[in-house]
Amino acid sequence: MTRPLRIGLVLLTGLIAAMLVSLAVGAVAIPLSVIVNTLLDLDGPQQDFIINRSRLPRTLLAVVTGASLAMSGAIIQALLRNPLASPKIIGINSGAALAVLLSVVLAGGVPLGFLPAVAALGGVAAAAIIYILAEVRPVSPARLALVGIAVGFTADAGVDFILVTADTYDISAPLVWLTGSLWSRGWSHLGAVAPLLICLMGVCLLLSYRLDIIRLGSAQATGLGMHVRRARLVLLTLATLLAAVSVSVVGVLGFVGLMAPHIARLLVGGAHRTLLPVALLVGALLVVIADAAGRALVPGIEISAGILTAIFGAPFFVFLLLTREIEARS
Amino acid sequence: MKSVPAGNLRAGIVRGASAALLLGAVAVGALWSLSTGGRSDVGFGDLFRPDDLARTVLSDIRAPRTLAAACLGINLGIAGLALQAITRNPLASPAILGINQGAALGLALAFVLPIFGAVGPELMAILGAFGAGVLTFAIAGGFGGRMDAMRLILGGVAVGAFSYAVVRFTFTLEDDIARSVVRWTVGDITDIRWDATLRLSAWSIPGIIAAMILSQRFNLVALGQDAARGLGADPRVTLLLGTVLAAVLAGVSVSVAGPISFTGLVVPHLARFLFGGDHRILVPAVAGLGAALMLLADALSKVLTAPIEAPIGAIAALIGAPWFLWLAVRAKGFE
Repeated sequence: MTRPLRIGLVLLTGLIAAMLVSLAVGAVAIPLSVIVNTLLDLDGPQQDFIINRSRLPRTLLAVVTGASLAMSGAIIQALLRNPLASPKIIGINSGAALAVLLSVVLAGGVPLGFLPAVAALGGVAAAAIIYILAEVRPVSPARLALVGIAVGFTADAGVDFILVTADTYDISAPLVWLTGSLWSRGWSHLGAVAPLLICLMGVCLLLSYRLDIIRLGSAQATGLGMHVRRARLVLLTLATLLAAVSVSVVGVLGFVGLMAPHIARLLVGGAHRTLLPVALLVGALLVVIADAAGRALVPGIEISAGILTAIFGAPFFVFLLLTREIEARS
Repeated sequence: MKSVPAGNLRAGIVRGASAALLLGAVAVGALWSLSTGGRSDVGFGDLFRPDDLARTVLSDIRAPRTLAAACLGINLGIAGLALQAITRNPLASPAILGINQGAALGLALAFVLPIFGAVGPELMAILGAFGAGVLTFAIAGGFGGRMDAMRLILGGVAVGAFSYAVVRFTFTLEDDIARSVVRWTVGDITDIRWDATLRLSAWSIPGIIAAMILSQRFNLVALGQDAARGLGADPRVTLLLGTVLAAVLAGVSVSVAGPISFTGLVVPHLARFLFGGDHRILVPAVAGLGAALMLLADALSKVLTAPIEAPIGAIAALIGAPWFLWLAVRAKGFE
């Protein structure tokens, strides 16, 4: 058995264990035997309502969105050749959040099924600014991160303005959602985004070998018969959609897209055919743990998963800033 | 002896005219801010011949708010000017370097933990601001003598994100604070009264004086590390003094009005554009411009979305964030 496969299996086992813990903890603690009874519909005590209505869908949602954000981050870091890049840093998350909030204020909210489309629109708009800058005038990775942060700030300013001027009744839900929370997410949210995200991730996995070819450099990649610009554009679009659609249901889970690819790279190295699946597992694991911890830390109170990912993610970002040499040119 | 060159004379006239315009803008902003508000029946005419009702509204509700807006502009503008000077970085400001968020964190800790509560919210905000500033400069390598421009900004954003996450964490635990969450994340002076305004304004004049005293050191830092040291001003000392000044001014502002972003970024740029790069002139210019801009922002916050009032911080961010984007695209020193 190869090393990446072994690591993948360990992570998968860890993920399943974390999901079971996530089903068990919260305002009402549920013993493992009851969980197994409920999930497999066995005889004995069951907890149908809490598990099937509340904790199971949100745990699955944590898995899907965590995996999507991680994959998005891995692709963006590879294409921009920037270890500091992530969906949040380059403004996709904030752009998607602004678009969703605008739809609430201007159109009185859109049906849940259209929410991913609205978020994707906002994310793509924010990302387009960054990509145009990177394509038209080659800039350093640091500059790109800087402009991305600025785009994010601008979108955040719009978000704040809408939040504080809207009627108080309307804003309480977005306020919880914006901190990156899985609170009160159910099957309908999962149904709205999971099929799309899983398809997108599948396409990304199929294309992952192209990331390795692009890393050889433009000349080599063209020599190997690849249309480099088109491949970059397709992959960046996929990465943007993955992040933006995730934001549409769980809000801004900061730093997951930054941390997961780095942890995966430490585990299995930089070849993307193995890196992407491992990053996916790591991302899912991070969000499931953050969500479960947010419910378990203070019983009866929910701490948004996004708060916990930021508390651990920001120091991680500083660590990267201090230890990684940033490549001089994109 | 040569006579004064024509260029200097012209520059002097431009400068004088700019100063006169600035004072005019402060006056207009103050009058506009005073004559607008929730009670639309108290308007501009009542400023000069108020009846009893108008006098109460003006002196108890509007005057403290108007003065607070002006003082916030002064404090945050000077803090931003000091930070841009000591880091030699055009993107530096209390919000970008995480100092505002650090102050908010100090404040939140004062509310939640009794040990810190004993220290007092104002001092905790200043300490939080100072801690965040020192941390950001340490990440950027500033105390080793060489500040990395990119690490400064990205490090500041990370310090800010961390502080902000912890602030939200404490909100989650304390329902009483959570109700005013918007106030503490955006920056708001809607309900400000005289006691808070006086706490804020007490620091504005000392802040200007301290910045004037430091202005020559700021000029020397602008010459570069070696030149500054050769002329007897260790840049690291300037860095520390400037950080203290910015932390006090930003910390007090945050403790009264919450974190207001981008005022500290935009005002020094406008001042440099109008008055050139000499900090001895920039300090009063920034004070005047900051006051004028925040007075206008306060008036806008009352009329733009009437009858709902938008917090002043939301207006400032709406103007300042695109400005930051423009600067980020154009700024030098990041290649």
